[in-house]
Amino acid sequence: MAIVEFEIILAAIISMSAPLVLAVVGETISERVGIVNLSLEGSLLITAMIGFAVASITGSVLLGFIAAALLGGIIALLICFANITLYINMIAVGFTLTILLGKLSSYLGQPFVRIPGPYVPQIEVPWLKEIPIIGKAVIDQNVVVWLSIASIIIAWWFLYKTKSGLVLNAVGENPYSADARGINVKFIKYFYGTLGGAIVGMAGASFSLHSIYGWSNGHTLNYGWICLAIVIFGGWNPVRGAIGAYAFGGLQIMALKLQGVLFGLSQVLPLIPFPLMIMSLILIQYSQDKQFIPNRVRSILFGNQPEHLGDTFKRG
Amino acid sequence: MVSSLKKMKLIAISATMSLLLAAMLACNIGGEADAPAAEPMASEPIKFGMILVGPRNDRGWSQAHHDGGAYAAQKTGSEMIVMDFINPADSPDITVAQVVDQMVEQGAELIFATSEDMKDGILEAAASHPDVPMIWSSGDSAWADGDAYHPELANLGNIMGKMEYGKMMAGCAAALKTETGNIGFVGPLINAETKRLANSAYLGAKYCWEESRGKNIADLNFEIKWIGFWFHIPGVTLDPTVVTNDFYDSGADVVISGIDTTQVIVEAGKRNSSGEQVWAVPYDYHGACAEAPGACLGVPYFNWGPSYLNTINAVANDNFSATWKWLGPDWSNINNEDTSMIGFAKGDALGDDNWDTLNNKFIKGLANGDINLFKGPLQYQDGSTFVAAGEEASDKQIWYTTGLLEGIIGDAGD
Repeated sequence: MAIVEFEIILAAIISMSAPLVLAVVGETISERVGIVNLSLEGSLLITAMIGFAVASITGSVLLGFIAAALLGGIIALLICFANITLYINMIAVGFTLTILLGKLSSYLGQPFVRIPGPYVPQIEVPWLKEIPIIGKAVIDQNVVVWLSIASIIIAWWFLYKTKSGLVLNAVGENPYSADARGINVKFIKYFYGTLGGAIVGMAGASFSLHSIYGWSNGHTLNYGWICLAIVIFGGWNPVRGAIGAYAFGGLQIMALKLQGVLFGLSQVLPLIPFPLMIMSLILIQYSQDKQFIPNRVRSILFGNQPEHLGDTFKRG
Repeated sequence: MVSSLKKMKLIAISATMSLLLAAMLACNIGGEADAPAAEPMASEPIKFGMILVGPRNDRGWSQAHHDGGAYAAQKTGSEMIVMDFINPADSPDITVAQVVDQMVEQGAELIFATSEDMKDGILEAAASHPDVPMIWSSGDSAWADGDAYHPELANLGNIMGKMEYGKMMAGCAAALKTETGNIGFVGPLINAETKRLANSAYLGAKYCWEESRGKNIADLNFEIKWIGFWFHIPGVTLDPTVVTNDFYDSGADVVISGIDTTQVIVEAGKRNSSGEQVWAVPYDYHGACAEAPGACLGVPYFNWGPSYLNTINAVANDNFSATWKWLGPDWSNINNEDTSMIGFAKGDALGDDNWDTLNNKFIKGLANGDINLFKGPLQYQDGSTFVAAGEEASDKQIWYTTGLLEGIIGDAGD
């Protein structure tokens, strides 16, 4: 009985966290190459809206995802263009975009507010879903959930086990050294920054077509900020970031279960990522000043912030 | 040279932003029949305003009002001015009073304000426009015996349906279908209206569980969870999608919706289509089952058309009076669109045998008065008396319900 309940709760957490996992993976890729996509809050809002709107108009959930991914990519491309080509501070551009895109999502999304529309269907997998724990938690889900899990594995493998991932990390750590070694730094930044944005766009559509079905003003409210917090908490590692996203999903499920018992606590639990983010930043900063902490230990505990994260790359 | 390069870059940014923007822009509880008495047809069509809390096409509460207004407009040749999304979350800078001002300016001779949440605005507007008849649907400002009577507002009447009957039918349908004996109820915010509707659903479920299925009430779990408002407001309310799934994950196989949007039936449909034996009872709108027919047991719905038609005729014939009307089903045919305020549309998933029980025994019993579920003894969760033994609840007792009934699991907001 306890196992069955565990399976059910685990399945709910994995399903509910899928969009946040995608957003965390997308932002992690972007930040590892040095691009901070601070438009995340606005990007998630507008891609959630566009995903639902396109799916509603065309009747195709797939087209909804494609449209959201394209828009997410375009937004990220704008930030890259502003920073890499025009040397404008990416934080300022991202923050401005967040406000603009949030308002635009409300304005353009008005015809789609709280109306029924398409959603990602559940797929029945007859035999595999009977496997203990993973059958219910992983197999008996839908494509969005599978995609979110696959994105963690692929991102980890790519970042740490491939030559291309090494190049990506090299650009984020020290673009000048990478440039000196003949790597096309600007192209790498453009490519992975845009790719990260496209994944964030898919995360937006996952909200409106999967976990928070439909569209309403401020539909993904605060998830963008939470995602940024989790990327830091996860030490710019897709696996640790995903664990953070699942922990956040767990807090939300717990908040719901505690509604009848501790109403006040259920309001507070979803706020936990924010103090965790601040604590992580403090610890990262503290550990950098303490040479007696071996790099390996520091990396495991606090993660590795890309050395040139958020910096504008300008050839001397 | 450097300066002109910078200018070109700025122009490029502006152009890119503009392109992005342009691309996005393109895109009575005792049991007697108390259907509204028909007014003589209007001699002249009128222009009237319809203020909706949500979108006109939400397949829920707002669409039920909108369709009721459209029905009345079509019958009388009148013109309807619609303003939707009038609520603090979607339109924080627009008040009901401002909307009424605008509608009156456009020539509206009658205003319908269609949410309990519009109370302050419509009271203010009625005072500001004493010559314009108004209806505050679901309110009690014109009830002389009510707790919130406003005798000074002679132009503001109230209309509400006795959805208590509809919720009893919903509860009965759920009890007839459930295999686990676990029924969930997704509640909106906690107030007297929502508590009396939740109680009604429970009473219907209890009756059919015990009388029709011959089961012990101790084996029926009826739990309510409140999301915080009539629809999901991100960052403010709980997400009804999550609440519904949590019910199913916790063992409920039927979830009754008490909210104005369709998440409950949609989630039931998703699970049902992947082979799970779960069902739902949506709310408000007669077409709500279309969202997931295979998971739908039926829907209790409001049919505002006949009462709105009567009001328009009364205004056109210059004999409008500000009264409080709490209208029940037309028991001769609860689904008669021309006469019945409350209906229940059968869902595909209910099954013929259960429908036979619901329709020919339960609804028939409610209609002829054989079944009166608001008859004592009835107690609240805390053990206090709601209706004493041998007594029948008055309209006032029911309207101003203060708690959830004993047997319901969930917070009563006390």
